[in-house]
Amino acid sequence: MTSDVLSVRGLSKAFGAVQALREVSVDCHAGEIHALVGENGSGKSTLLGIASGFLAPDEGTVEIGARRLLHHSPAAARRLGLGIAYQDYSHVLGLSVAENVYLAVPADARPAYGRMQSWAEETLAAFNLDIAVTAVTGSLSLAERQLLEVAKALLTRPQVLLLDEPTTALGPDAVERLHTLVLEQARAGVGIVYVSHRLPEVLAVADRVTVLRDGVGQGTFEAASVSEDALVALMIGRPLKVAFPERRVLPEQAEVMLAVSGLRGERFGPIDLVVRKGEILGIAGAEGNGQVPFLRALAGVERAIGNASCGGAKLDMRSPVGPLRAGVVLLSGDRRDEALFPVLSVRANATIQILRRLARVGIVLRGRERRAMAELVERLRVRMASTEQPVQSLSGGNQQKVSLVSSFLRGDVKVILAEEPTQGVDVGARFDIYEALRAKAEEGIAAVVKSSDPLELSGLCDRVVVMSRGRIVEEIPRHELGERRIVEAIVGSRPGVTAAVGEGEGAPA
Amino acid sequence: MKRGLLPLWLMTALIVALGAYTAVHQSAFLSKENLNSLLLEAMPLVIVSLGQAMALLVGGFDVSVAALMTMCVVTASFTLTPTSSGIALVPGALALVGVGVATGLFNALLIRVLRLPSIVATLGTLSVLQGASLLLRGYPQGAINTDVTNALTSGVGFVPLAFIGVVVLAALADGWLYRTRAGLALRAVGLDETSSRRLGMSTGRTIVLAFVVCSVMASIGGFYLAAEVQVGSPIIGNQALESIAAAVLGGASLAGGRGSFFGTLLAAFFLTEIDNVLPLFQQPTEYADMTIGALILLALLLYQSPELIAWFRSARRRIDPVKVPAT
Repeated sequence: MTSDVLSVRGLSKAFGAVQALREVSVDCHAGEIHALVGENGSGKSTLLGIASGFLAPDEGTVEIGARRLLHHSPAAARRLGLGIAYQDYSHVLGLSVAENVYLAVPADARPAYGRMQSWAEETLAAFNLDIAVTAVTGSLSLAERQLLEVAKALLTRPQVLLLDEPTTALGPDAVERLHTLVLEQARAGVGIVYVSHRLPEVLAVADRVTVLRDGVGQGTFEAASVSEDALVALMIGRPLKVAFPERRVLPEQAEVMLAVSGLRGERFGPIDLVVRKGEILGIAGAEGNGQVPFLRALAGVERAIGNASCGGAKLDMRSPVGPLRAGVVLLSGDRRDEALFPVLSVRANATIQILRRLARVGIVLRGRERRAMAELVERLRVRMASTEQPVQSLSGGNQQKVSLVSSFLRGDVKVILAEEPTQGVDVGARFDIYEALRAKAEEGIAAVVKSSDPLELSGLCDRVVVMSRGRIVEEIPRHELGERRIVEAIVGSRPGVTAAVGEGEGAPA
Repeated sequence: MKRGLLPLWLMTALIVALGAYTAVHQSAFLSKENLNSLLLEAMPLVIVSLGQAMALLVGGFDVSVAALMTMCVVTASFTLTPTSSGIALVPGALALVGVGVATGLFNALLIRVLRLPSIVATLGTLSVLQGASLLLRGYPQGAINTDVTNALTSGVGFVPLAFIGVVVLAALADGWLYRTRAGLALRAVGLDETSSRRLGMSTGRTIVLAFVVCSVMASIGGFYLAAEVQVGSPIIGNQALESIAAAVLGGASLAGGRGSFFGTLLAAFFLTEIDNVLPLFQQPTEYADMTIGALILLALLLYQSPELIAWFRSARRRIDPVKVPAT
């Protein structure tokens, strides 16, 4: 039998009334890639948090390399040989890349302070990471941050490496490069625990899979002997019937809702685009090719020049106010910082944009507020204990639903710009979100969905455009849509692909 | 780095400009006596501000410093009495530092263990210390040993030795902050505590240390305050807001992780200079408060100017077609 580099036994952990984990046991052999899958809120992150020493368990033990983790701190786990790439990173954004890399290695492995810069350059080069070490970490693209996070975890030379959703910001080729790296490490004898919601991706590299549901282990399987469908069924506890809502054929000459001409910003453009009433347009592309800045510019969040119109009226994109007034709503991919007020209740988040309508002589009437949101909350199947619950206590999928409720309640929405609408969202909730977007489109709005998941785009959208280097390089009509077609367009659209992993937007000079 | 130096240049320019203007109009300003008293006057604020900079670097505030300095003056009136001398004074001096360490630990306990915001925690400490001071000395009484005060204020020419000491200390502290591993760790904790903890740093220890250093510096500042008033006054310390002002004018970020000890020293000196100069022009000292307030606003605006300028430019600039490198 191979030796276990990580062994957690009988872990239980409660946060207040929520039992996040219940007597979960998982082990990881040396040289093994062990996938940990489950819906959001199934306890994956809590399990990793405990294994890495960041959280203390209520019950149960953690052994790293056959040594028990007695003192629950990240430093102690690291000393025992555990490296972790956090889903939301461990970067100090105000420091330079070099300083972050320097802090990431154990004190005895650090070079003299003065040599930090050149040392960091060499270190990152060893990972094929082309990131300027003098850049402020906060200026990196999300993809670059994610790859840097994995590199930092590996710098501790761990026996066991935990990866928490390491590919959320990565395009297909960066994922492949990451997987190459992970396989290399496994061959070298590192045990890897890989958490991801992207099943096909993680199954492509995993040796074994453990499924979690509602904080309870559903069993560990040989990856080769278990089908994706079976895993999904275990994750959600019911067989998944349809993954995407049905699409109706758009009327031949549907009215144009959103028209963009010659729009360009610092990282994209010029872009010409038309989206019709009832249409969901997908934006595909490798990460960091201007998709996000383009959406944000349309919403008035980033600066751009050029023209756009909504429903025939020119769009004032100098600030978010213009697009909002015109009915153009951005669903930011950064839910915690931009789309929601995490500490406010579900109710407050849902109604915050329409308080005027709910108030009489300046006083918001709770009854009206509840009535206004009740139907939508029901229809979108927001799962929560109460509408007074802070949004941050909901799972990712339910948070996303609340931000949809908030936008839909406005009533004047004409265009929805959705940036990664299902990022960090579990399988069940994904369908609800697709369905909500589709239903809204059928009411006569236009939607633009930026996603790094080709499968999602091919299932949800009526048409997909592929962006590369800030421009639209290919348009895929409805009858051609398919995961493979989109992936090929993304790959094929970039001549001379020789770039290193994570060569994203580059660091600013 | 260039941006980090802006506060230093600005403070130096202001000190020189105000000094030059005053020297031209009031010859008394440049007299050795006045310069000596200006430097001595600056000591309590300079020292406590260096401590305050530590608190700001880890993303906190310490508003209890002034009350702590008062407490130290009151303590001195009991432990550093005129009747004792020589080696007998050492325990008395240590008592002041002890008060500082105890206060720092108490603040750290409130902040780290009870998880109170630092401004609330230290506000509580401020009240406790203020009450204790008034309990011990209901009114200014109890002379403080002149051997001690003379030793503290001794100098070469008109420059107090202690002033040279703090200049060296501030310079060394900046070197530590920006040129060493421990300094980097402190800044990292101030910028992002969660990430720092994930990276395996002992963030709790760092923050406790910062608040203890802050209080110890305040107690050392207390020595110089004692030297100034020479009597156990329970209502003397008022450097709480001024010390924060000095740290901010010196370049500290209110969000933590950024700051300069030398900049803080210059700013603290400049604030004292304003106080020193106004009476020479027969102006009411209330102007000092207003000037300081206006300066802080101005400084914050100026220090953030790179962002403001960038924002303004991006609003105006013709955007170049595309600068996206290949992925």
